[in-house]
Amino acid sequence: MHKGADIVLQCLRAEGVELVFGYPGGAIMPLYDALEGSGVRHILTRHEQGAVFAAEGYARVTGQVGVAMATSGPGATNLVTGIADAKMDSVPLVCITGQVRSALIGTDAFQETDVFGVTLSLTKWSRLVRTIDEIPEAIAEGFYWARSGRPGPVVIDIPTDMLKAKKEFSGPVKFTPHARPADAKADGGFTDTSFTTKIAALLQQASKPVALVGAGAKLSGAIPELRRLLDHLNIPTFATVHGLGAVPPESPYYLGMVGMHGTRAANTALNESDLLMVFGARLDDRVTGEPTRFAPHAKIVHFEIDPAQLDRVRPCEVSVIGNLADTIPSFQAELRQHSLPDFSGWRAVACGAERAELDPRGLAQPTIRFLDELFSRLPESSVVIADVGQHQMWAAQRYRSSSPRGFITSGGLGAMGFALPAAVGVQLAKPDTCVLCVSGDGGFQMNIQELATVRRLGLPVKMVIIDNKYLGMVRQWQQLFYQRNYAETDLSDNPDFVEIAKAYKIHSFRLNEDAMREFPVSNETGDEIDRFLRSPEPELLVFDCAPEANVFPMVPAGAALSEMLLEEEPTQ
Amino acid sequence: MPAGQPARTPELQERRYRGAKQMQSFYIRYRNTQGTLMRILNAASRRALDLPVVQAEPAEHDHQVTLALDVNQKQVGQLYREWYAIADVIQVSSDQVSSGAAHTAEWTAAHPPAGVTMEESRAAARA
Repeated sequence: MHKGADIVLQCLRAEGVELVFGYPGGAIMPLYDALEGSGVRHILTRHEQGAVFAAEGYARVTGQVGVAMATSGPGATNLVTGIADAKMDSVPLVCITGQVRSALIGTDAFQETDVFGVTLSLTKWSRLVRTIDEIPEAIAEGFYWARSGRPGPVVIDIPTDMLKAKKEFSGPVKFTPHARPADAKADGGFTDTSFTTKIAALLQQASKPVALVGAGAKLSGAIPELRRLLDHLNIPTFATVHGLGAVPPESPYYLGMVGMHGTRAANTALNESDLLMVFGARLDDRVTGEPTRFAPHAKIVHFEIDPAQLDRVRPCEVSVIGNLADTIPSFQAELRQHSLPDFSGWRAVACGAERAELDPRGLAQPTIRFLDELFSRLPESSVVIADVGQHQMWAAQRYRSSSPRGFITSGGLGAMGFALPAAVGVQLAKPDTCVLCVSGDGGFQMNIQELATVRRLGLPVKMVIIDNKYLGMVRQWQQLFYQRNYAETDLSDNPDFVEIAKAYKIHSFRLNEDAMREFPVSNETGDEIDRFLRSPEPELLVFDCAPEANVFPMVPAGAALSEMLLEEEPTQ
Repeated sequence: MPAGQPARTPELQERRYRGAKQMQSFYIRYRNTQGTLMRILNAASRRALDLPVVQAEPAEHDHQVTLALDVNQKQVGQLYREWYAIADVIQVSSDQVSSGAAHTAEWTAAHPPAGVTMEESRAAARA
């Protein structure tokens, strides 16, 4: 006879789970009781939100399913932000929550929350387990949906009496999805490669084609296929924040990030293009700017695995539904039968040095210089995790990684507090990799308690706080669009982060902007940064940033990409 | 087309795309698993669409919910795709869908899961 808790853990092992992140509590105690000897390693964070973000970090860097555990009620509700984050950014995540015992469900019992209901609109699939017999199937099905198609979050809510109950257990089961007529159609449509001739024809007619790469490139595992295709097309190409790293930044046709804080070159080329080929991107508002003025001259070809994302902004000329690993080779096979028009003139204009330069004011910013110094000294194959805010956009603009999973951030949801716990998950997944966590002073304090997790595990995470003593991105918007009314964004009473880190027994130090005024930086500063990055211990570096430093280029909300601001304009 | 002339006017296209709203009936067949009906309804409620008619009932081996919604063409497309993205939704159909729209391939195309090979997917579809 096996307890329900043992069955859960055996099923997790059968799904390949080695690590889970969580925080114990009343209803989930039987599962914690069964952990020892189960083969599943549990990482104790100091808050459930830390656990779910750490599981996300693990999943984002490995492509495997991340697992978070929490108890009922507040434990479960503390997972919700991470679940929403995983939904937005297509992260395979399984959350296992304890629930009050079956007889008490619906009675507003102590620590009872309808987590199934709360997370219904945020999950791909969820299950409130009713009997111990359902556990193997629930876990198999949950993992299936978390991984399949466009990956996403799953919640499995298990009443505590189901975890304690016993039954004969013959082993984990495998889930096979039900067939449905639509699947058959999709399958039939998928093998129909007529889309390839349509796109080839559009390319023949185009004079200013561009390519946009999103997260789907890395999620599909189709990076080699995509890179071969882009080399063949040789047209101006840019990426969303989650597509960074999919295209080697040194590629002559690559223009960097597109969108609200994208490069001038990328946004300009997109605005001028007459054919936009989208590979695995949702085209959300941070990418498109004002939707009705997005790519105004372009026909759109959209390669996407999730049909629900198609035509959200504008109807496409051609929609190609499927995994890029399947659709790109079909398309490339068709392309080989055609000679492409000569796009060299267009490429020369779009990729010309005149457009490629970032705003000179930005380059002069000490914070950007600091990030450039930091990134240039990172060991090969490092992973940078950015929190949310100005530093996130600076990092996205300046970090030039060729690794599709080398830059991790909360993009769609924009959840402050993501970076530190996510870095825990990344470092556990990649123990020999340099993991650099870049946060702002606001976001760092949202999950600052995870310093204890870093210390307890001795993880050599390198943490940087870009400390401008403001909620910087909000303040920037207040400056530019709200007549400098800095309402409730002043964080000048921040604690001393260096002292806080010391309290956690983490080595920490401070650099200020003066260290970046010299170019190149002094040997002393350079050596200090090198030592920091190569330390075998966790370390915190606090960089004092000018309070009113801004991120440019910037496309104001509701504006078209062509209306990006390259520098600060006087307040009206 | 003369050089430099836009391929279309996006604002005009958007207006056509959104179009006027009209009341339509939708028939969604689904397996009656936990939360599936709620997910179907949520696709409407998250768009602040009123739900004047909701009728769920057994239909052969599965279940069917009938909804009447006041929607424009763009919303119809979005709803179709969002419903098909729900794990246990089997089929979506509707009355009064504009010509050809109900058969737009991408609406009815539930993607083959990435974790499943094409062969597995075909086998599952034939099963």
